[in-house]
Amino acid sequence: MELKVEQDNCLGCGVCVVACPVNVSISPEVSGGHGSKTEEVIMMVENGVIKLFSPEKCTKCGTCQMFCPTDAIWLE
Amino acid sequence: MVSNTKEVKDLDFDVTRSADEVRKLAFKDEVCIGCGICEKVCPVEAIELGDIGAIVRTEADEAKICVDENKCVLCGMCSVGCPVDALEFTIDGESIKNMDVYPQYLSSAEIDDETCIYCKACEMACPREAITIARELPERANLVTGEIEIDKDTCIHCGICEEMCPADAITMDSKIPTSSDPTVASDINVDQDKCVYCLICKKACPVDAIMAACRTCSYGEYDLDPADAEIKGSSFIDDDLCVRCGWCEEICPVDAAKVKKPFKGEVTVDQDKCSTCGACVDICPCDVYSFPQPEESGQIVDKVFKDETYCIYCGACENVCPVDAIEVKRTDVDYTPTKSKSWKNKMESLKT
Repeated sequence: MELKVEQDNCLGCGVCVVACPVNVSISPEVSGGHGSKTEEVIMMVENGVIKLFSPEKCTKCGTCQMFCPTDAIWLE
Repeated sequence: MVSNTKEVKDLDFDVTRSADEVRKLAFKDEVCIGCGICEKVCPVEAIELGDIGAIVRTEADEAKICVDENKCVLCGMCSVGCPVDALEFTIDGESIKNMDVYPQYLSSAEIDDETCIYCKACEMACPREAITIARELPERANLVTGEIEIDKDTCIHCGICEEMCPADAITMDSKIPTSSDPTVASDINVDQDKCVYCLICKKACPVDAIMAACRTCSYGEYDLDPADAEIKGSSFIDDDLCVRCGWCEEICPVDAAKVKKPFKGEVTVDQDKCSTCGACVDICPCDVYSFPQPEESGQIVDKVFKDETYCIYCGACENVCPVDAIEVKRTDVDYTPTKSKSWKNKMESLKT
């Protein structure tokens, strides 16, 4: 399985960034709804859309997919 | 050369080798709990556990495990290791579960029908929906006794009794009054099988047209047969789905359910690492995890709550936790003895 994004669907809400448990362990401030302080996280919103930075860190728990309101991020 | 064949049916599959004897490994995805024990015990690394978190939570169209039929030697170890019946291994059509030479877990779940009162608590609690309780309730008319009669000459067909009757025992045949028949109803009747002699109609009737008496307190022991109040039923546990988690035993109010688990162990959750993603809550086949609710606003509760009473120490939660916040230790594995040293070693290797 691989983490995939479709930027055309993304509203840039950042819910996936905040919900991702791996992101939170890398940059704890994202759990409070802040932007990540480092590009070490799996994904971040950049220029209004989601972008994958370190997809290899993904453990495929499916949390981002469950919370994304527009099916812009998923595991396939 | 003899080679293995793999037959895939939706998410299930069979790996077969036909030589002098037919050896077959059959996988049922619906039953698989994602514990990964098969992957651990496979001596030839033919099994790979999938991304079970995503598979379970996003209903992905992917099997929870993958068996490489070219590596598989059809030894049956994965089937013996599987704590549920997701992997069934047969030799010439006979399951190795019926063969004494192969070890198997000592685990069971039973409901004693003699003790069971068919309350259905276990059916509701079972996290795998493996329990079916069929029950036959007594006739309500056999549990009450009394007399009721409506004086149709006094009755003004107001319909109050019909509206108030909690047992829907009174029916009034309403009609539009006409000049030739200036009444609002043609008839009113009480169904004696439905009436529970609560006397609400009698008390509510504005013209005292209802004569009713309840005999249950004074003459109940003469009028009623206790055998008529008996609730009959039967219980059924689907062995395929049951994971021996013990919910039924814990919730049963009359100790009718008995569960023997195959493993003993310990689960540790690092509340600091936990980021409440809920993967463990979703994957656990035993509903061990839940999110605690604060009793009052401002109260800080644990991020995730666990009750090991229901835990089978399968390790699925540890597999799925994205931040390594869960550790599952298996301290004891209960299985039938085997003469084979390598099989014994495998079973012992499940202890961590």
